[in-house]
Amino acid sequence: MKEKRKIKKMGELGVFAVLVIIFVIMSFASPVFLKTSNLINIVRQTVEIGIMAIGMTFLIIAGELDLSIGSLFATTAMFGGYLFKNETVPATLVFFLVLIGGIVLGCVNGLLVTRVGIPSFIVTLGTMKIYRSFAYAIGGGQSIGQFPESATNSWVWALGAKINGIPVQIFVMIGLFIIAHILLKKTTYGYQVYATGGNARAAHLSGINVKNVKLIAFAIMGFLCATAALVSTAYLGTVTTTSGAGREMDAIAAVILGGAALSGGRGTILGTFLGAIIMATVKNGMVLLSVPVFWQDGFIGVVVILAVLVDLFFHKNDSER
Amino acid sequence: MAPIIEFKNITKRFGGTVALDHVSFSIEKGEIHCLCGENGAGKSTLINLCGGVFTPTEGQIFVNGQQENINSIKKSEKLGFSIVHQEIPLCLNMTIAHNIFLGSAEATKGWFLNEKHMNEKTRELLDLFNLKVEPTTLLGALSIAEQSIVQIAKAVYFKPEILILDEPTAALTNDQREVMFRVVRSLVKEQKTTVLYVSHRLEEVMELGDRLTVLKDGKYVTTKNVSDVTMDEIVTLMVGRKIERTEWDRSYVTNEELLSVKNLCNGKKFQNISFSLHKGEILGLAGFVGAGRTEVLSSIFGADKLDSGDVYIKGQKVKIRTPKDAIRQGISMIPENRRDDGLVTSMTIKQNAQLAVMDRISNRGFLNESRSVKMMEDMIAKYSIKVGGMNDMILTLSGGNQQKVVIAKWIGNDPQILFCDEPTRGIDVGAKSEVYEILKDIASQGIGILMVSSELPELLNLCDRIIVMHEGRITGEVTREEATEELITKYAAAI
Repeated sequence: MKEKRKIKKMGELGVFAVLVIIFVIMSFASPVFLKTSNLINIVRQTVEIGIMAIGMTFLIIAGELDLSIGSLFATTAMFGGYLFKNETVPATLVFFLVLIGGIVLGCVNGLLVTRVGIPSFIVTLGTMKIYRSFAYAIGGGQSIGQFPESATNSWVWALGAKINGIPVQIFVMIGLFIIAHILLKKTTYGYQVYATGGNARAAHLSGINVKNVKLIAFAIMGFLCATAALVSTAYLGTVTTTSGAGREMDAIAAVILGGAALSGGRGTILGTFLGAIIMATVKNGMVLLSVPVFWQDGFIGVVVILAVLVDLFFHKNDSER
Repeated sequence: MAPIIEFKNITKRFGGTVALDHVSFSIEKGEIHCLCGENGAGKSTLINLCGGVFTPTEGQIFVNGQQENINSIKKSEKLGFSIVHQEIPLCLNMTIAHNIFLGSAEATKGWFLNEKHMNEKTRELLDLFNLKVEPTTLLGALSIAEQSIVQIAKAVYFKPEILILDEPTAALTNDQREVMFRVVRSLVKEQKTTVLYVSHRLEEVMELGDRLTVLKDGKYVTTKNVSDVTMDEIVTLMVGRKIERTEWDRSYVTNEELLSVKNLCNGKKFQNISFSLHKGEILGLAGFVGAGRTEVLSSIFGADKLDSGDVYIKGQKVKIRTPKDAIRQGISMIPENRRDDGLVTSMTIKQNAQLAVMDRISNRGFLNESRSVKMMEDMIAKYSIKVGGMNDMILTLSGGNQQKVVIAKWIGNDPQILFCDEPTRGIDVGAKSEVYEILKDIASQGIGILMVSSELPELLNLCDRIIVMHEGRITGEVTREEATEELITKYAAAI
């Protein structure tokens, strides 16, 4: 029996092994790689994808998908940028307005999926385009930068600062990962997410409101996109209309790397965290090794497919039983 | 001349269950041979052996005197079998013509589809069946009855040597049935087609068949000329097994009404269903597959809709729209299909067992692990579920133990009313009797149980009362004392 439990954990162990291998190779290949500054840099580069991948983990476990998150990220970033620049409302209020905006846009996705009954792939493919247009419209097609002091001196900008050389955003991300882990493993909501994705009909017959479970997951996704947008705004000091493009696929890749099943019911927050770290490590490593930038995506693609192959190998035993 | 099909000592086992037990009989060329038997008699298994879906565990099948190993669907087709299944294996997104010629060489001319040929031939075929639709109509636009006619038409078009029809008339109207009979008869007459006909409608057997074979519990009973028997005699042949009935102290059964339903209707699935369930009572719902029993249960439970009718719980009228409402009203349901509706296969034993009782193992949304473990330990002990560890995946358990988990899950909810749909499906004999004991124990606590089962002995043994359904209507009600297999089968066949 203990053996079977081991296999169950193999999903995460697999990613972890991949991560270790990449670390070992890189530490030999590049003298800079293991330096503290570089390691901090890797985790910093994980933040945006990592935060969004948390929301994607909930959705994928519940059996859904969100392709609109890159655009959602950009819209909320532009929305916040516009408000910060205008100075009509205090920065703290902007902070909360952006988060609410993210939740609202996430709920739009969720309502279209659960109440109207359109598949999430289609809904979020549509809103991916729509939210991107919102981002353009808010900025009139222009980036927004050079924020006034009312913004840069506010506590919100601390999200982009460093404490003892460690970027604050790393703490934000890790905090969110911990909260998400607790939410998924220790609460009835997390229990319901797994049941919904594992067998929606059985969950429904057990008295679980499957639609609301999914709606909440979409809302969480929106909230996290807005959070990532705020962090990015404070860090970069500028927001662009095209930001976040393609990030939906990176987030999905991180979740899949972490051992989740696209068919739903399976996945963990820890796995997603490791998946996101792998993606950032690979990118970082390729920069250090001066691999031409156009090979980066290709290599990440290879890693994703390999990781899923490893996963398939371990889970073959599952279905045979 | 050798018979066209001869079954010799056919045995088919699925794990520990014996679906067919040394069955031998033969079918002559050009006859309409009917197969009769209760649910689970082995009819479908026999058909699937002909279709190459399964191969026999023991025994041989002879086709035209030649021993054949029918190990694939292709092989079965090559031997001249054509099977019309109960479910319709057609593509709803394609036209009638394309469905009929799917996979046929006639569909193409060179590299291209031969639309003209397909449509012409389809039109002839539709005329033959008196179906007034265009060959280019999408199959999905047809009613279920029309779709099953298309399926029969498809089977007929390719002029099979042996046509097997499995409950083909379930969805048909009387007119459509007459047309189908006419086509089948002319096929037999003009092309010497052999027909194996499976139906629980005995009047059809009497009308269409030449000979009939009765199966019971996977065993061969007899083969007779249809002209030599009456419907009553067939029923007697189909049942008549010795039933071991155990009696126990049932003094806890009361007349206190727990649940009562009045005139429930749901489209074509069932009409005017009224009954009541009492405290401590086990009420059985009998009938053939497709009689609408499962639908009645799931409609009351809120998993299926109700067009009209009222539901009362303890005399109070209630509205149940979702399973959540039903659970709140104290109803639990053990669904028919354990794998599809009962379990979340990606979860552990404990997670599955507590899916419906989340409130009890949590505090303000946070799961209380120690309470959850304690509850599971009690459950395992109480229902003697054989598990390695409660955190193992649910599929590591045997079917019987999985079912015990499902039952425990729903009892953990402290229901007043328990619906069980085929509670012993696919589990072995030992586990079955354990499930019976659990159900008796539940009833003795004053819970009312409404139980659907296709296994008559099970109903006769457990139930205080049995309601019998036929094609969406209640056709009879018998008390425990009156109940016999024969009586119930007569009601179920509506004769």
